[in-house]
Amino acid sequence: MMNMPEGTTLSRIGQIAINAHDVDRATAFYSDVLGLKHLFRAGQLSFFDCGGVRLMLDKPEKPEFDHPSSIIYFQVGDIRAAHRRIRDAGAKFEDEPHVIAQMPTYDLWMTFFRDTEGNLLALMSEVPRVA
Amino acid sequence: MNATATNPGMMNLGITNIGQISIIAHDTPRATAFYRDVLGLPLLFTAGNMAFFDCGGVRLMLGPASAPELDHPSSILYFRVPDIQAAHRRLVEMGVKIEAPPRLIAPMKSYDLWMVGFRDCEGNIMQLMSEVPRS
Repeated sequence: MMNMPEGTTLSRIGQIAINAHDVDRATAFYSDVLGLKHLFRAGQLSFFDCGGVRLMLDKPEKPEFDHPSSIIYFQVGDIRAAHRRIRDAGAKFEDEPHVIAQMPTYDLWMTFFRDTEGNLLALMSEVPRVA
Repeated sequence: MNATATNPGMMNLGITNIGQISIIAHDTPRATAFYRDVLGLPLLFTAGNMAFFDCGGVRLMLGPASAPELDHPSSILYFRVPDIQAAHRRLVEMGVKIEAPPRLIAPMKSYDLWMVGFRDCEGNIMQLMSEVPRS
């Protein structure tokens, strides 16, 4: 990391844009299924909070911008329970919860699913290893 | 409106925060240099063809797409900076392609929200954002 001139440090991520072809449908999914806090709606834009980062659901205006979201990995305490809950709500999963990496003090679990707009998302959970 | 309010009988997922965001890079060493040297983010570690950065507690994972359908541009990430004019000058000096110069996006109650759009070395559109207190 280089020394950055004063005031130019990228301190944190404030917002992430997520494409949605049907903003109403996506808003229902992010609030009712994922349980994220809906902040406000501004025309085509729908804003959520996730642990201090704002998610902005937006209908892409130009074909250049019309592509799926980056994979966003949501941290949960109980990945099996969260997986069941999302599956029961009708969302499509790509796999079952599984260990993706063994870290020194915990196992990193992940499972991948799609939102209503076809975006690939993930749940992740750091499960402490019992000594 | 949230899950407990709309569906009182259903369990909340308990999502606490965003742990990680993936960004497709066609040239991982090039992207690693950009995110480390131009954006100034701390490089956590590399694993094979992937590089992991920290941005205020959220991990960014840079690497090639694991399947053709995943090979598309990133979501726009909005990075907070204290001084958007200084940060914009630095991007220009580093030769970064600016998509939209610093501009006032929304006047909020107690501050003005400013943004500047740019492209990373992989062609992903990103933004810097700054909440400038109104005096």
